[in-house]
Amino acid sequence: MTTLDVRGEICPYPMMRTVTALKKLSVEDEGLEVLTDHAPTLETIPTQAARLGYETEIEESGASEWRLLITRKKAEVAS
Amino acid sequence: MTAEGAPNAAGRPLPRNALIALAAWVVAGIVYVVARGRDSEFAMFWAFGLAFGFVLQRARFCFASAFRDIFLLGHARNMKGVLLGLAVGALGFGLLMSQQIPNTSLSIYPSTANVLPVGIHTALGGLLFGVGMVLAGGCVSGSLYRMGEGYVASWVAFLGVMGGLLASAHTWNWWWRVHIASAPRVWLPHWIGHAGAVVATLVALLLIYVALVWWEHRAGLVVSGRARSAEIPAGPSEHLRAVAGQIFVDGWPVMVAGGVLGGLNVLLFAAAEPWGFTGEISRWSIRVASVVGASPGPLAGVGALPGCVMVSAEGVFVTHMLFLVLGMFFGSFAAAVGAGEFKIRAPKRAVRYVQSLGGGVIMGYGSGIAMGCTIGAFFSAIPSLALNGWVFAIFLGLGAWIGTHAIQRIA
Repeated sequence: MTTLDVRGEICPYPMMRTVTALKKLSVEDEGLEVLTDHAPTLETIPTQAARLGYETEIEESGASEWRLLITRKKAEVAS
Repeated sequence: MTAEGAPNAAGRPLPRNALIALAAWVVAGIVYVVARGRDSEFAMFWAFGLAFGFVLQRARFCFASAFRDIFLLGHARNMKGVLLGLAVGALGFGLLMSQQIPNTSLSIYPSTANVLPVGIHTALGGLLFGVGMVLAGGCVSGSLYRMGEGYVASWVAFLGVMGGLLASAHTWNWWWRVHIASAPRVWLPHWIGHAGAVVATLVALLLIYVALVWWEHRAGLVVSGRARSAEIPAGPSEHLRAVAGQIFVDGWPVMVAGGVLGGLNVLLFAAAEPWGFTGEISRWSIRVASVVGASPGPLAGVGALPGCVMVSAEGVFVTHMLFLVLGMFFGSFAAAVGAGEFKIRAPKRAVRYVQSLGGGVIMGYGSGIAMGCTIGAFFSAIPSLALNGWVFAIFLGLGAWIGTHAIQRIA
């Protein structure tokens, strides 16, 4: 899994670089891990990732630091 | 999906942050009391500044991203908050102005509303500001609140704004003579009455809202990053702790912030004047420039203009506006510390500093000739039912669109 470290980046580069990286992922890649310290990213990335077919999980990894785990949406299985 | 901001914040250990935040609020209270001793207006503007800064930080409310994300991400979340703030403002300002100037057939204007001469300077100012705010990663209010959060680039942008305002001041007399002195002030109630102006404004805002919803769906679905917890608090103290968490720790919903900011603007207008501060910032730049002999000299016509027109550096340095701007910074700082969101963030790449500085200068110049920024010439001007607000807004959008293309090339 590729890691994208955008800590310290100014707005809107955390979001822009994440979307660019997502678009570059190949079918074999499980997903993308993004390290950010920019809170607005948490509001925008879930939508951008979902439009590209990914799910986003957000984990707080430190004081004002977050780790976004962006993985491909699993196909829904009827239970 | 786990989202940052689950309602129950009790799991996070924040004792040190909470103590520093508490100390910050105590300092804020002391400043209030001392200021009140000098002048009650100082204290009031300090309190409003704190409130604005607090709300901006808690909701990460950014006017630059409100415009930019429509083009960059097909996402209008922040703009919807702005629209609500404009609507609340229009209702409140409209009511107050109808009492100030009951008879709209007279050619008089409300004395403090941001009804400004409208013309090429408004359009160019808006365009420059729109480009600059996207380059810098935030507008002036955005930079102020992010300075409080520890973003080094925002300090750089703010310095740029000061420089841009100084440059604008040096060219002001030309703008005044050639464009601004003969430009009309267009106040909608003169044309369609108070109720008509308010209704027309609200209808326009509603149409924009509908267009944005359509635009978002055209770009794809919209997912909220916020998990709505169905947890029922176990008892009153857990409930209150959860509510305190929602206010001081979790991010605010942008619509709540937009409404609150609009409401605060109405209160400030009722008490004194609309929210706005680039005039004050220009005063700092001009004061610094005067010290080194680079003062722009007397600025023509500014005495008769309301709003954030640039002001000379004469006179006492400590004014109520100083307290407003410093209050915004401090309110954001206290909010950020309390939420554990204060962190010195420095870009690693040199180009970001250039962008922040350059964007700031362009914003500063634009806000000088347009007599305001996204607050004074937009967030306070549209509620003032003034045409200059709409003209500035359209060109802000155009500038933001241009800026969005530019930043993608600088990536």
